[in-house]
Amino acid sequence: MSTPDFELDKHLRALFGGLDTRPDFDARLMARLRAESQADATERMMRARQQESARYRRAVLELQGWRRSMLRLLTLDTLGVALLLVVAVVAARPYFSRNVMDMGRQYGPYIAMMVSIAIAAVPLLGIWAEQARRPTRSL
Amino acid sequence: MELVRQERRDEAIALLLPAFRRRVFGLAYSFLRDREAAEDVTQEVFIKVWRALPRYDGRASMSTWIYTIARNASLSALRSRRPQSSLSDAEVMEAVEGVDPAPSADAGVDRAAILRLVEQLPTRQRQVIMLFYMEEQSHEEVAAMLAMPVGTVKTLLHRARARLSAAAGEVSATA
Repeated sequence: MSTPDFELDKHLRALFGGLDTRPDFDARLMARLRAESQADATERMMRARQQESARYRRAVLELQGWRRSMLRLLTLDTLGVALLLVVAVVAARPYFSRNVMDMGRQYGPYIAMMVSIAIAAVPLLGIWAEQARRPTRSL
Repeated sequence: MELVRQERRDEAIALLLPAFRRRVFGLAYSFLRDREAAEDVTQEVFIKVWRALPRYDGRASMSTWIYTIARNASLSALRSRRPQSSLSDAEVMEAVEGVDPAPSADAGVDRAAILRLVEQLPTRQRQVIMLFYMEEQSHEEVAAMLAMPVGTVKTLLHRARARLSAAAGEVSATA
């Protein structure tokens, strides 16, 4: 005598129909996800910190490079030229007309700014010229 | 999909969990035949889904995507675990909810015997039987879970039932 199909179905349904995870499954999973989420946030924060620190190091290196370039410019020759210019201006000052003096007072800050920019541009131009001179590496 | 786009992964998981928990667990259980291991794999699957949600592009349906993750996780768990346990182990018998290892009064064949018969089925037939009867899944759903054509699922189910029926008949005749 064979077990009827419906009885087999009933047995199989009874065997596998109730198969499920334990009741605390969802709570355990959500706790793990919260932990993962925190770890994720910590990792993101660490990465941001590392990026910030790398950016800072790069900025410091650039500043140091600029300072070195400026110091290289500060030779006896440049100091001599600057001193000569100052002496020349002081010596020529009594002979300037009133208009020239007024203009100087009016545009003085702008002139000083232009001279500063020109001085700052010198090392940058030097770096650019150095890079342009460097031969391109062939693959 | 909208929640995924808005990076609200926790809410997305909270929605996916009730819909897929049992199916993923059943799929893992059909591979591993160990409740503890299947639960661990189910947890891993949902954590993987949670991690991968920002990369989900919607090309495959969510269920196909989750079942693929579940199958891969189950297979790698299967590869890394100790030799397979058997469905007739007392531990596993206990794991199947509502199973009374003692013979049932209303049938010639007890459930433990049916479990042993299921255990003797070829792997694919056993998986189809388990998943089909687990939640009264449709053939299409079982096919999606196991990445098989629907026709194959129907054939496997038919063969498995015929085999079980014949074997149960033999058992009850000898009892």
